[in-house]
Amino acid sequence: MTKRPHLVIPAIVVAVLLFALAAMYFADSASSLPSFVPGHQAGSAHHHVKHGIAALLLGLAALVFAWFQTDGTRARAS
Amino acid sequence: MDPISYFQAVVLGLVQGVSELFPISSLGHSVVLPALFGWNIHQNDEYFVTFLVATHAATALVLLGFFRADWARIVRGLWRSLQAREIAADDADAKLGWLIVVATIPAGLLGLLLEHPLRSVFASAQTAAIFLFLNGLMLFGAERLRRRAPEHVPEGPRSDIVIAQRLDFRRALGIGTAQALALIPGLSRSGASMSGGLLAGLSNEDAARFAFLLATPIIGAAALLKLPELFGPHGEHVRGQALVAALCAAVTAYFSVRFLLRFFETNRLTPFAVYCTAVGAALAIGFAIT
Repeated sequence: MTKRPHLVIPAIVVAVLLFALAAMYFADSASSLPSFVPGHQAGSAHHHVKHGIAALLLGLAALVFAWFQTDGTRARAS
Repeated sequence: MDPISYFQAVVLGLVQGVSELFPISSLGHSVVLPALFGWNIHQNDEYFVTFLVATHAATALVLLGFFRADWARIVRGLWRSLQAREIAADDADAKLGWLIVVATIPAGLLGLLLEHPLRSVFASAQTAAIFLFLNGLMLFGAERLRRRAPEHVPEGPRSDIVIAQRLDFRRALGIGTAQALALIPGLSRSGASMSGGLLAGLSNEDAARFAFLLATPIIGAAALLKLPELFGPHGEHVRGQALVAALCAAVTAYFSVRFLLRFFETNRLTPFAVYCTAVGAALAIGFAIT
């Protein structure tokens, strides 16, 4: 499998952003979400828990991707 | 009066266990059957959704139990690859595990985001019948467009090696996306993933095996997410019926997976395609004129 070490930092940044988004979905009601976030609905008290789970899982996937792009041989050698 | 009788629960449970694994759409059948028998049960009723969750949980548990040895190998493979930070070329278990993870992502995401809107839009029995007909056409199309199937490989680890060799992550992503079609009542999850497997060059047997492995996390996660509702207000008056239906679904799911793995050793999707097109067309016409 070809490793792409230059993608590690961007993947971690994406993962952190997705975790933050997930936290926002869990904590805030639809009306409190920023207007550019999918699911924003003025006057709605609904919590988009499913959106939160989706963002959390995607963040986890980005983190796993980043992990696979790191160099395991160097870690094993030390 | 209870919204679902115990007799209805037995019938729906038995059908659910079979139709979840046969490529004939369980959701489609759970929409069409009540309409066909004149039962006052509707797909969008919250208690019915809660009731179905119990049958899904039972099916997922049966699949997990049936393939427990395979899952143990797959999980060990995933752990090995995480430790090594790479998927070794000869580690079929790790490759199969990550193929399942990658294929589950689109199905899971689309399920989380679109399940409710799609269920609302395509709730009628007639629409489900039309999609059942289209499901038949999809199965016919997959058999017609399939790549040349590889030589017969016995069930088990050697079959997994073939799956790991023949599928790459892009194809797994495609199969996972196709799996999300099952959110529409009438289109089958196992049918879509088996069709995807055939188009990727798997034999019917390997495609079925991959579809069943793929079904376990997605059905299990969906059930786990919704199962608490069974113990909330939506579950009142249907808990007993849901338990009976889950037991019935578990029995038929077990025999279905055993039968299908044997069936696809020598047979194709064609009989299910014939069933779906014929029954789908007949029901669509029947619902339109009544």
